[in-house]
Amino acid sequence: MAAVIAIALAFGVSGYFSEVDWTMIIDSVLRTTYRIAMAYGVALVLGVSIALIVGWSPFADALFPFFDILQNLPSFALLPLFIYFLGFTDQTIILFAVSSIIWPILFAVLTAIKSAHKDLSDAATIFGARGFRRIRYYLAPLSFPAILTGSIVGIAIGWEAVIGAEIIANTSGFGAFIKTVDTSGLNPTAIAGALGILVIVFVVNRLVWAPLLADSARRYAE
Amino acid sequence: MHDSHHMALVLSRVSSRFDDQRAKEASVLEDISFSVPAGSFVSMIGPSGAGKSTLMRVILGLMPPSSGVIVRNFKRPAMVFQNYALFPWLTALDNVAFGLQMDGLDRQERRRIAREKLKEVGLDHLEKHYPSALSGGQRQRVGLARALAIAPDLLIMDEPFSNLDTITSEALKADLLKIWRSYGMTILMVNHLIPDAIELSDQVIVMGAHPGSIEKIIPIDLARPRDVRSVPFFKEVDRLTEDIRRTL
Repeated sequence: MAAVIAIALAFGVSGYFSEVDWTMIIDSVLRTTYRIAMAYGVALVLGVSIALIVGWSPFADALFPFFDILQNLPSFALLPLFIYFLGFTDQTIILFAVSSIIWPILFAVLTAIKSAHKDLSDAATIFGARGFRRIRYYLAPLSFPAILTGSIVGIAIGWEAVIGAEIIANTSGFGAFIKTVDTSGLNPTAIAGALGILVIVFVVNRLVWAPLLADSARRYAE
Repeated sequence: MHDSHHMALVLSRVSSRFDDQRAKEASVLEDISFSVPAGSFVSMIGPSGAGKSTLMRVILGLMPPSSGVIVRNFKRPAMVFQNYALFPWLTALDNVAFGLQMDGLDRQERRRIAREKLKEVGLDHLEKHYPSALSGGQRQRVGLARALAIAPDLLIMDEPFSNLDTITSEALKADLLKIWRSYGMTILMVNHLIPDAIELSDQVIVMGAHPGSIEKIIPIDLARPRDVRSVPFFKEVDRLTEDIRRTL
């Protein structure tokens, strides 16, 4: 990140960004970030809920290959379907991003549940974590590190999905923005926009994921 | 065989098999029959592959037997695990309180009981520590406190000393005997050391392997408290060792 800041400063000092329309960049970056945040929220709730219910049920082993097939459906192939039903809207892009972000989260949680030590599962049963309480008091906390790693991977894929969908659907947002500025030859604007995305990714990483990962490593260490 | 009314546990011809791709069906436990008198301390010893841990799971109802009858004259079983099986996301206090929370006790009451149990095992000063910050001996004590917290009438212990150093396991054994006497519960312990089994138990069940089966049930009639450096104790160890050597 220090290198990114140094490059940005060097560009700034040299006057490379003097012609940049910062309002347009901020608007595009924030719009894309909003879509990512919404898509992540939906994918997190859906992915974790489905994984916990399936992991809790006796059908986890049977359903695993089914989810694997669904996961391998290329999300971009679904984009025309979303556009057909929802048009060139925020919902289309968010739903498309959900279809990409959900899988790393779902599989991370399912795998964590499946690979949990048998003794830990037995202890939960013996000490009364049965029925739905098993989900709340055993499976959900057990899955916390997996939710974190699944989220980090999912969001990385989500940025690609949202920006890709914005380019294809040519709606507002960072994807549509870089498509416009690239074809207009506005390279400083495109670079400033990319730096803006990097800053957001860095800030989220340092303020959200890094502390959560540190907490998870401290509490879940063997 | 004793009258089953005075038995905490009776197993009659219990077998357990699981599907194996090559052998089609592999037998883990074959025709297991024994009784555990209520309030007694019973040890099971046997080689690896004797299915001791599987048998504990069958007794606790965590897996069904393929055949046979199990009479469970206990209401609340608890278990202490070889690898502790503490919940890593909970502090020592919350681990001990886990069973009470599942029973629906309010936070204040379950914490009061959990603190009491932690004190009983000598770890009240470590209640805020996560399992990863505890030594093996401390983790096993938390595991024991977690089991005691739910006031079990049957305590199953699966090789609780095997991951501990000698000094730690000696101290834990002494505490365990004190706890057993004061609680009056039934203890069924999987063990792999003959002197430990004799020091602690009223009865030693010797298992054979492939498939797991009962080879011999040996009562230990030494008076308590047992002096592990006395001649009768050494003679008992010698007798049991010889018995097992002949049997297996």
